Amino acid sequence: MKTRYILFIFLLTSFASVAQLDTTSKSLQQVVITATRTVKSIGDVPLPITVITEKQLQNLGLQKLTDVLQTQAGLQLSNNILGQSLQGYPNPFGSGIQLQGLDAAYTLILMDGMPMTGRNAGVLNLDRINVNNIKQIEIIKGPAASLYGADALAGVINIITKASTANTLNAQVHYATNNTTGVNVSSSIQHKKISTQLFLSRFSTNGYDLDKTIYGKTSDPSENYTATIKNDYKISSTLLFKNQLRYYTQKQFNNYLVDVAQQPQIVKGTSIEKDWGVHNELIKTLNKLSKLTAKVYLTGYANNAKVYVQKNNSLFDNTFLQQLFLKNELLYERTKNNNTFLTGAGVDYETINSSRYANKKELSNIYGFAQQEFSHKKYNLVAGIRLDKHSLFNAQLNPRLAASYKINSKLQLNASIGRGFKAPDFRQQFLFFTNSIVGYTLFGVNELSNGLQQLKQQGQLEANININPFLNIPNLLAETSVGINAEVKWNFLNNIKITTGFFRNDITNLIERYNLPFTKTNGQAIFSYQNINNVFTQGAVFSLQAIVQKKITINVGYQYLQAIDKNVVTQIKNKQIVKRDPVTFVSSYTTKSEYGGLFNRSKHTATTQVTFQLPQAYILNTRLIYNGKSGYADINGNAILDDEREYTNAYFLAGLTISKNFNKGIQLQAGADNLLAHMDILRLPHLNGRNYFFTANFNINKLFKHSQIQ
Amino acid sequence: MMAVIALVACSSLITSCKKDETPQITIVTKTDSLSVNFSSSKPFAFFNFKNGVVVANADSASTKWDFGLRFTTFILNSNAYGPGNAGAIFQNTLYSAVTEAPTTGYAYDTSSAQKAIKDGSWYNYNPTTRSFSPKAGQTFFFRTADNFYVKMELLAVDYAAFVGMQPDKLIYRFRYTYQANGSTKF
Repeated sequence: MKTRYILFIFLLTSFASVAQLDTTSKSLQQVVITATRTVKSIGDVPLPITVITEKQLQNLGLQKLTDVLQTQAGLQLSNNILGQSLQGYPNPFGSGIQLQGLDAAYTLILMDGMPMTGRNAGVLNLDRINVNNIKQIEIIKGPAASLYGADALAGVINIITKASTANTLNAQVHYATNNTTGVNVSSSIQHKKISTQLFLSRFSTNGYDLDKTIYGKTSDPSENYTATIKNDYKISSTLLFKNQLRYYTQKQFNNYLVDVAQQPQIVKGTSIEKDWGVHNELIKTLNKLSKLTAKVYLTGYANNAKVYVQKNNSLFDNTFLQQLFLKNELLYERTKNNNTFLTGAGVDYETINSSRYANKKELSNIYGFAQQEFSHKKYNLVAGIRLDKHSLFNAQLNPRLAASYKINSKLQLNASIGRGFKAPDFRQQFLFFTNSIVGYTLFGVNELSNGLQQLKQQGQLEANININPFLNIPNLLAETSVGINAEVKWNFLNNIKITTGFFRNDITNLIERYNLPFTKTNGQAIFSYQNINNVFTQGAVFSLQAIVQKKITINVGYQYLQAIDKNVVTQIKNKQIVKRDPVTFVSSYTTKSEYGGLFNRSKHTATTQVTFQLPQAYILNTRLIYNGKSGYADINGNAILDDEREYTNAYFLAGLTISKNFNKGIQLQAGADNLLAHMDILRLPHLNGRNYFFTANFNINKLFKHSQIQ
Repeated sequence: MMAVIALVACSSLITSCKKDETPQITIVTKTDSLSVNFSSSKPFAFFNFKNGVVVANADSASTKWDFGLRFTTFILNSNAYGPGNAGAIFQNTLYSAVTEAPTTGYAYDTSSAQKAIKDGSWYNYNPTTRSFSPKAGQTFFFRTADNFYVKMELLAVDYAAFVGMQPDKLIYRFRYTYQANGSTKF
């Protein structure tokens, strides 16, 4: 109740400042690429889209991409755990962003339009991406499989990196709490037909320790390096060659306690993560109306954690994951009378190997797609379809239809419907793993037959157990969804934009872990995966953007979310779900009103951000994020969320950044995050109290010019 | 520990504490707890329903015990594990609603890999909290080693307090009703 009150006050103050607007200013129309894979003015995009610009990134001054994304309505950081009903694991490799109530694994992450690889338990660690090299972030909500194929189910996050625009040289120095330091240099060169953008960065942190009674830090110290180079070469007036290289490596210094033969032992070592990409594009302008693009993209990801027992330097654990992904794509685009037709086809080839798999795996995917856009004064229509045939699962045909209608100059309606799919993830298919301490075994579906035969040969299964029914299990089906989005956009008084949106995603064939009907001779269970569940998420999004006298920019956003397991609802109706109170031990049937939906999701989330342009070139950015209570863990014996004690508390995250521009090409910035110092060691281990940061940005060209004049 | 158990028994099973309202003296109803090895290789903890006691490991070849537990594995005193006639049925039924045990259909441990009570079938494991939570709304029926009938409900499985990296023991809490007159009625 108290939190609601605070939220209400915050919204009220935002509206109060809106009331004093002048009505003259008009914001420039932004251009986006992700929604249709064609360059489009944001106002013409008939889909829910959020854009974070370079300027907004500068004003925020945040160094972690997950922190940046969290400032947007409807983008929620999922804390370490993946949704429980989606059978997640604790995820030590980084947090992901939840979109429309779906886990991070259900959102496709692109860098300059190309998919990033290297997901751990379905989550791609977004903090691998250096914020200082980003030009624009585009977030499309709703299925986008008709253009992008697998994993674009909840939506797409496209990170567009900086491109060369002029001859510039910039440098940045950053210092923050926990001895966090960052240094980066970027350079832009334009020379005749070649333009080049270069970015180099080093970032390191001491990490932090939330519980001093446990040996080892909560977050280990780490250092990382990023290098990217982006070249554009105009071969002729009709032929453009684009090339991009990126390399990222992070080293984490591990130091913790383990149990070796019932004795606590200190282990030390490193976890190394590498991520690289080579992206080549040849763009041929065929005539005034059409162009042809050929793309070749190769990307790799590897992580390797190696720790040694300190006492005798013997290897304690060595786990690794190696992934290679190659994409070849050909695109044809033709625009006539504002109507753009886009078609493309491609082949993906992928290899993956991990310490928890039996051997290296090779996969491939062939696809083709087509999309037609119709644009008129009043309406905009986008119809597209894509076919994917992957080597491991059933063919996927994904259509999407989106339309917008401008009722008048102030009011616009958007509606879209599309199908999306998520490939079964690698562990669900390839896991070949036995827990060394407890002794249970997990087999991915593709390894089940081999694994069971091996267990039998080794005598880990009794001779009379019939494994035949599990020897020819069909491959897992892709998880599929149908997503519907609708929006009303209202340009109120020219400088206030209000958007109200509704969404619903129906997902079928969700993959879950299950027990085989027999155990190993050590009495331990054998697990594999099955397509079982059906869930839906639905909700409403409200956002307001206002510019007051060109000086104050206000962004307010709110999301209401429901995420429901349909099977659970049926079971509750059939009196198949019982709860047992953990204190009184009284058992009773769970009722429909007690069911709170999927774990780890807030029903209510809100964000506000206000940026003030102050006199003397000061800029103040203030932000507040509200995360309503969300399900954490079951306590009453039915694995579903149906008890008040199973929720975390609601909490606020507040932050501010103040920037000062000096006209000699220097910008200084200071800020603080988690100002209210909210902490919850157990449930929110990524929050380590109040953090301060200082950043200095240098435009070296300007600096140099000034010193010359003097 | 015993104080806690007694408290739980009285707070959760009010009927069993109001002795004057319990006419059938042949029925033993109580809430008990059992400390069990958190290991799939260490010895089982053996339990006897009739007296509500833990049976020494030295008596593992006798009919003094009804079921044994280690880690999350149940064994019964019959067939593969003992000389008794114990059997079990595991059902989706509210414990409080059960008035009679089935007369037939009791399963045995035919081998170490094919047990009457399948490991992993009766709990939800939460990898976040690392808890083994007995599924609510399930009742175990036992026929004891000496042919008496019992209904039992698992209430909680907690880690025993520990120092070091991982616990040695799991504490199982359960309630049961033992019909001492040999009938299947509770």
